[in-house]
Amino acid sequence: MRTVHSDAPVVRSTDPAPAPVLSVEGLTLSVRGAAGPVPLLADVSLTVAQGETVGLVGESGSGKSLTVRSAMGMLPSTATTSGRVVVRGTDVLRAGGQALRDLRRSAVSMVFQDPRAAVNPVRRIGDYLTEGLRAAGTPRGQARAEAVALLEKVGLRDPEKAMRQHPYEFSGGMLQRVVIAGALSVRPSLLLADEPTTALDVTTQAEVVALLKDLQAERGMGLVFVTHDLGLAAAVCDRVYVMYAGRIVEQAPSAELFRAPAHPYTAALLEAHPSLHGPRRQLRAIGGRPLALAEAPSGCSFRDRCPQAVDACTEGVPALRRHGDSVAACIRPGRENWT
Amino acid sequence: MTLTLPALRTRRGTSRARRRPVAVLLSGGFLVVVAAVAALAPVLAPHSPDATSLLDSFLLPGAPGHLLGTDSTGRDTLSRLMYGARLSLLAPLGVVALATIAGVTLGLLAARGPGWLDVLLSRAMDVVFAFPGLLLAMLAIAVFGRGLTAPMIALAIAYTPFVGRVVRSLALQESARPYVESYQVMGFGRLAVTLRHVLPNLTPVIAAQSALAFGYALIDLATLSFLGLGVRPPQSDWGSMIAQAQPALLQGLPWPAVVPGIAVLLTVVAVNVLGDHLGNSVGRTGERS
Amino acid sequence: MTTVSRSIGPWLARRVLGGVLTIGVASVVIYGSLRLVPGDQAATLAGGRRLSAEQVEALRERYGLDDPFLTSYGRWIAGVLRGDLGISTVYQDSVGTLLSSRLGISVALIVYSATLTVLLGLAVALLGAVRGGAVGRFTTALTSGAVATPPFVAAIVLLSVFSVQLGWFPVTGAGEGFLDRLWHLTLPALSMALVAFGVLARVAQASFTEQLRREHVEVARSRGIGTAAIVRRHVVRNSLGPVLTLVGLLVAALFVGTAVVETAYGINGIGSFLVSSVSRQDFPVVQAISLIAVTLFVLMSLVVDLLMPVVDPGVQKERVRA
Repeated sequence: MRTVHSDAPVVRSTDPAPAPVLSVEGLTLSVRGAAGPVPLLADVSLTVAQGETVGLVGESGSGKSLTVRSAMGMLPSTATTSGRVVVRGTDVLRAGGQALRDLRRSAVSMVFQDPRAAVNPVRRIGDYLTEGLRAAGTPRGQARAEAVALLEKVGLRDPEKAMRQHPYEFSGGMLQRVVIAGALSVRPSLLLADEPTTALDVTTQAEVVALLKDLQAERGMGLVFVTHDLGLAAAVCDRVYVMYAGRIVEQAPSAELFRAPAHPYTAALLEAHPSLHGPRRQLRAIGGRPLALAEAPSGCSFRDRCPQAVDACTEGVPALRRHGDSVAACIRPGRENWT
Repeated sequence: MTLTLPALRTRRGTSRARRRPVAVLLSGGFLVVVAAVAALAPVLAPHSPDATSLLDSFLLPGAPGHLLGTDSTGRDTLSRLMYGARLSLLAPLGVVALATIAGVTLGLLAARGPGWLDVLLSRAMDVVFAFPGLLLAMLAIAVFGRGLTAPMIALAIAYTPFVGRVVRSLALQESARPYVESYQVMGFGRLAVTLRHVLPNLTPVIAAQSALAFGYALIDLATLSFLGLGVRPPQSDWGSMIAQAQPALLQGLPWPAVVPGIAVLLTVVAVNVLGDHLGNSVGRTGERS
Repeated sequence: MTTVSRSIGPWLARRVLGGVLTIGVASVVIYGSLRLVPGDQAATLAGGRRLSAEQVEALRERYGLDDPFLTSYGRWIAGVLRGDLGISTVYQDSVGTLLSSRLGISVALIVYSATLTVLLGLAVALLGAVRGGAVGRFTTALTSGAVATPPFVAAIVLLSVFSVQLGWFPVTGAGEGFLDRLWHLTLPALSMALVAFGVLARVAQASFTEQLRREHVEVARSRGIGTAAIVRRHVVRNSLGPVLTLVGLLVAALFVGTAVVETAYGINGIGSFLVSSVSRQDFPVVQAISLIAVTLFVLMSLVVDLLMPVVDPGVQKERVRA
């Protein structure tokens, strides 16, 4: 395995922030396939500081969901890993069952894409909310009181009534609020949101995003926001990581990412996206289809689809290198170097 | 896991699909052998199924000349098993043929015919469904006396909803697909579209249901014989073999009863494996489309 | 709760009416079967006895053979609704009396068998689903075999092994007192439960396995809930719908299953009474037992439908809407 850090000056966040709530260091992961191991992630590193919102952007199959799930120790059963995933001082990849359960009951929570699938349809809302607390040993009465308070906080009008209702009685947006309340119930220091608005109506998407941001600011949690929507990520997050084919290809402050994408893939994603602001420009689709790590060509994974590709792109996986405030895995980072 | 790993999923899918046919092939092969043995019983059977010999009674399986032993009157179990296979297989086959024809016809009529007919047929199938097959068969025997014809017809009626309900609901689903409407818009008759397009798409499901019904019918008919309500001597099937061997079993000589019991069990397992396989493969293609 | 029950009112009314209609049509078929008997029905009802002309006339009168079908059916069904099931042609005794003396043992057998079915079925399904892999394949093979084993084959094999060879259980009879009866009924209940056990375990294992793969289970895991709690609160709880439906059908089927098992084990209950009455063409008895079987089936499916909203809350909504 090549180490991509060797000739890269900086990989970490630009600020020397206090101890991060999540730190992924060189995470490499493969699962067992019929014809030997199938690599899914290669040398993924990222950090999330307390109170920071970090975006993880990529197309489906890029490994972004797998990366956030690794922070909870939720890996495919046949996965083999190397590297470290540290949450609150615990290396999740090496933690045993009880340690993992303790971590999930107290430090990390996740908000899922489809609230309809995430909440058990036959149990009451109150049950869903108190389940995590009860597992952590909170007495029934106290768990219930906290759940009601949380429902109020996430904006449900009649929390007492909602506690007794079933999931089918709620709209998707309201149910996602319930899921968020459930995630907050254990007072996590790290909240992982895996495409939390993708399954919702456009109008409720904004409300849910705003709610997540409010709660994060109020509680000072670290927030990882996984999305395939670069625009949304830039609007919500302080920093954004862009993933392609199981690798991180760019990391930049949100504003910088928009202003001056350093990786051709990021630039292509921006061009494929309509924008309400700025001059009207032509939308350009990215040629080819997104790849998983297992299917990627040698050298730079993106080279087959990259309009800037040169012969040198076939020579080894490009290391992450600094370009302005960004870090990009490209041998010619930055628009000014492109033809 | 909700990870999207299309490459892995297909690979895992094929490995499972590769494993399944072993049981399926074994079952199919077994049924072919049983059917062949039944058809060729007069040629293959080492003895006459009715030849008694008191000197050779209650021989254990493996006895010279009597591979599966003999019963209380010295009749060769293997030969009786071979001859018994004829009725044991033919009778349920008749039941399933009748039930399938009736079920497909009624199911299609209900799904593709006028609304009032659907209400009527669905109600009728509900009523028949409330009669367990064995009960309807016993009622028929009470009316027409011992024998095979009456219970066969009764079982065929009892299993008609088993096929008919599935055909109806799948035909309704199929009718909702755009291609059916487009054919009708093009001027093809409702009946023609039903027979040429809807029905062929249902065949695997119909085959699966029929296979499962065959297993049930075999069990029910053997049960009736065991209860002394089915075939009359000198005819015999596996069920009546077991019934006749029960007194000996109670005296500690189980083989004449156990051997045909195993025959029933293996045949039904084989038929169920085939039926499940047909049903599952349908489910898989349905998912894909 | 009152508003909810009021809103499913129309559904309930339709459902009950449908059940009554099913039983009604079935009762016509059951009663009408006598008229299908080829030849002289009075001779059939005489049950082989040689009767004088007056006695035959009395028989024809009693069973309404000379009245129009609907008239005699009306008289019969009115009697049934009053609890009068007619007179056995063989025993010349009230069918109600004959049945009630045999009902207890059959009910005990059905309850015992249903308990075994549910306990063993769910336990094996849970084992197969949670452990998966080789264990899952083993339980699947086990239940495939159970489904294919006719109760009478199970009965003779169990009899042969445990009663005749090992002598652990009695060969025949129903026993006196609770424990003795339990001991006597164990093998019959097992024989009868085998198929139902197989069917239930297969469906339950498939359902458990499906639930284990559902996202809400993964979510529960992500919240640090232990495996035992997940299985209980999410996997088993969410599979109760299909399990309940099946248990209803299987219990109704066990009623007819008593015919085989009681005959094989020489137990004098409703089932063996049905078999002997069929072979003696004792129509009033056969008709009464058939009607009970059909009614039980309809009742069980009604009970299941009524319980369904408790285990699957979404069902209620569909019914109110429908």
